[in-house]
Amino acid sequence: MSWEKALIDKAKEIIDMYPQKRSALGPLLYLAQEKDGYISNDSIVEISNLIGITEVQVKSVASFYSMYKEEQTGKYLLSVCKSISCEINDSRSVIDSVKNFTGLENYETDTEKVFTFEEVECIGACGGAPAVQVNYETVEGLTPEKSLQMCEWLKEERPEIIVAEELQEKFGGVKSFDWAIKDNTGSSYSVPGFQNIGTAKEKS
Amino acid sequence: MTDQIKINVNGSEISSKPDQLIIEACEDSGIHIPRFCWHKRMDPVGMCRMCLVEVETPRGKALVPSCTTKVSEDLVVDTESDVVKKAQEGVLEFLLINHPLDCPVCDKAGECPLQDQTMAYGPGESRFVEDKRHFEKPIPISEIILLDRERCILCARCTRFSDEISGDPLIEFIQRGNKTQVNTFPDEPFRSYFSGNTVQICPVGALTSSSYRFKARPWDLKKVSSTSNCSSVGDSVELNVSQNKMLRILGEDNEFTNQGWLSDKGRYNFEYLHSDKRIETPILVKNSNKELTINETMELISNQILTSENPNISFIVGHNSTNEEYYALNKFAENLNKVENENKVSTTNFYLSDDYLYNGFFNDDYSLGEIKDLDSADTIILWAQDIKDNLPTLYLRIKQAVRNGKKLLIFGHTNTAIKELSEEYYGENIVTNNFEFNVDLSDIPNLSKYIDGKDVLAIVGKASPLQNVNPIFQLVKHLDQNSNLKILNCFSKGNTLGALQNLDIVKGLNEFVTEFDSSKKNIVFTVGSNPVNNSIYSHKIKEALIDSDFVVSLDLFKNETTELSDIILPTTTFGEKEGTFTNLEMRTLMQNKILPTPGSALNEWEYWLILSNKMNLLESYGTEAELNSMLCKDYIDNGNIPSFDNLNKPSNLDGILNSKTINIEVKNVDSTNLEILFVHRLYGDSSSQINSPSISMLGSERFIEMNSATYFGSYMLNSDVVTLIQENNSIQVNVNINENLPDNLLVIPINRRGFQDLNPEKKVELEVAKSREQLSVT
Repeated sequence: MSWEKALIDKAKEIIDMYPQKRSALGPLLYLAQEKDGYISNDSIVEISNLIGITEVQVKSVASFYSMYKEEQTGKYLLSVCKSISCEINDSRSVIDSVKNFTGLENYETDTEKVFTFEEVECIGACGGAPAVQVNYETVEGLTPEKSLQMCEWLKEERPEIIVAEELQEKFGGVKSFDWAIKDNTGSSYSVPGFQNIGTAKEKS
Repeated sequence: MTDQIKINVNGSEISSKPDQLIIEACEDSGIHIPRFCWHKRMDPVGMCRMCLVEVETPRGKALVPSCTTKVSEDLVVDTESDVVKKAQEGVLEFLLINHPLDCPVCDKAGECPLQDQTMAYGPGESRFVEDKRHFEKPIPISEIILLDRERCILCARCTRFSDEISGDPLIEFIQRGNKTQVNTFPDEPFRSYFSGNTVQICPVGALTSSSYRFKARPWDLKKVSSTSNCSSVGDSVELNVSQNKMLRILGEDNEFTNQGWLSDKGRYNFEYLHSDKRIETPILVKNSNKELTINETMELISNQILTSENPNISFIVGHNSTNEEYYALNKFAENLNKVENENKVSTTNFYLSDDYLYNGFFNDDYSLGEIKDLDSADTIILWAQDIKDNLPTLYLRIKQAVRNGKKLLIFGHTNTAIKELSEEYYGENIVTNNFEFNVDLSDIPNLSKYIDGKDVLAIVGKASPLQNVNPIFQLVKHLDQNSNLKILNCFSKGNTLGALQNLDIVKGLNEFVTEFDSSKKNIVFTVGSNPVNNSIYSHKIKEALIDSDFVVSLDLFKNETTELSDIILPTTTFGEKEGTFTNLEMRTLMQNKILPTPGSALNEWEYWLILSNKMNLLESYGTEAELNSMLCKDYIDNGNIPSFDNLNKPSNLDGILNSKTINIEVKNVDSTNLEILFVHRLYGDSSSQINSPSISMLGSERFIEMNSATYFGSYMLNSDVVTLIQENNSIQVNVNINENLPDNLLVIPINRRGFQDLNPEKKVELEVAKSREQLSVT
């Protein structure tokens, strides 16, 4: 399905932040992913028209990075870290409890398209290990019990937008540091973090 | 900075240009460094690591990729040390891990850099016992290109070519790591005018073309250098023949012209040579296509000429003859004028079958440029036919120049990607749809900034068959007064310049139509041209040929013109004849013969010779070489004359510039208020293309172009299929929306079948089509 006007406006707003249109490719792919749960070919066509590069060039970038999903994911993408710091802090049991609750193996999505589960490499939250991302919003210091509660909460409440701070407050434990700019818009909108350096639009 | 610096390679000193890459400097001095990804016409990427060499650094010897490292004064390089050899072995072992080693069934085997370099630098045996990576083999990525991803070594030559050189990046790396593969976007095939070049530069057999697949082994091929007829750039090519069949054409790197690249039309338009439909014996059309012997035909034609009273003899010539053939034709015509009979006066005229012919800039008032001036000029001015469609390899040179910082200013309308390259695009605000200036030349915004006192190369030619050319002369005069101007006359078709240089006075098809007098005895020769198709004057020419008393066609195939002729004479073409070719900068290049002549076909010049003899007009030549030496006497260039011997010397493979005088007499046309722009697209319905199966479908779509404002506003259309109506004609076509075009202009490709019956001077009506039938030429 092609993009609606509101989404295109949002995309244009992001494009305006960059001196060159094509530089906005990364954030636009997040928009596409937020829309469908993965990068659909329709979205790729849309993005290629918006920033003036060919479809296959968009596809090339989208397929290179594993955080851009090529296949449909559930409403909530649960990425549990399995790298060394989390492993030492018993991420294995967090993984097991998430797996138990959702009944999913690595990279699987349930039939209702609520959860997708994946084990990932380091997500840069070693200070608060073990860490989990829900739709790329990070929660640190999880325990098997807390992670179970979190999954239940997600299943019950079905929040539209996942905000890291809220998850952290409800289910998190030790937190390493304030590692992201606070916002209430979910993962895709915080990506162009231009607060400190300004954007092409502001400069012109 | 000095001109040359010294570096030390393998213990001996070589000199190199500063800023050169190590691999280039070594190559220039005859030291070969193995490589896969590096290509001298593209930016280096350092993908394959095959070109690792050891250089001395302040911290000791280090391995560096020689394709991304520049030379510096007194650099010490070792390309053959044990460390380098070990690195090369390692790189090859890794490259071969996933390579299928299916050489016995691979077209590349025998000329494969991976095979050759594994032989020369490889480890000899593999330690890899695991399963290789598998992909579906092969997948078509366009109508003419196939991709075998298993063989690919990820050198990025093809993807870089399509991005940097041709500017249509429709193939890219997809995925990552072990899964990395070159691919297209689904439903977006690699439809590029230049896609065949990727097959030629692929260092393995990953990209293959459908026309050459499984046809031959490289060691069985007979090869000869020649010059392509595809456009008047005169692309240098290598013809590959096996068992008397042309199997492929490769681009040769000629610094002055195509730099190794070819358009797909230049590369794949050769299968027609071996088509069953070729005419191999003379045919008497008006006697139920009876086949005749050459002797009988010549008798018939000479009698016809000798017995006609004061005949008007017209030659409508095409652009595929060699200079020698034009020269022989010219002599034949001269002799015809001398035929003495009672009260007999023959009049002969030459008409070149090119709607875009005009008088051009050939007098001494302006200095003529070369293609290589694109690299030295500050500003490039373009006002001509659409370059990408008509002179595809020149388009690549312009694109390269723009990449290197030259400023491109475009006048008039263009319907392809070249607009994106322009610094200033003087479209409908400056130049009207009739190609007249809206504003005073000195008021054109920013023009003086780019031309005043600068080196300017102007590529100028008629942009539309119905164009008043005075504005072009006006512009050139203005440029000449304000800048250091050089001119490249943009005649796009084949050996047009050869015809202009060797025929006495050349006129255009408009002159043929207007001068045609049906009250006289008319004998018309069409020489390798099909003016009843592909021209805006086609309908008038058709009438004229019907009214003519005797029409002789020299051609390869039966076509719209030969249907109207009395006699068809089978001729030869590119690859079947030896001769010279003059490109648009007046560089004479060699066309060599490698194929036998089919059936009882003769070269054009042989017909002129036999006819002369039949009519007792004795000629003093008997071979192409003799014609060539007669022709060379007309050249004034001292010593460096374009003779066969001279042109086949290695030092002259790039051709020889000459400055023979040119006589064109084409009247200016008054442009009326036009809403149609007739253009030539790269792919059309010429008999050579429709008889070449692998590319015949590329020009089959019938469409017109306009911008969306015209589409929705003026015509209020809501269907992409419309009917063009003009008097009794109606044609169903697709509409392609092209925002590059100005308002209220319809662009019609005249070289696609179905359009030749339109009268360019009259309005067409557009209607939404009632049914969707017959959109393609079959």
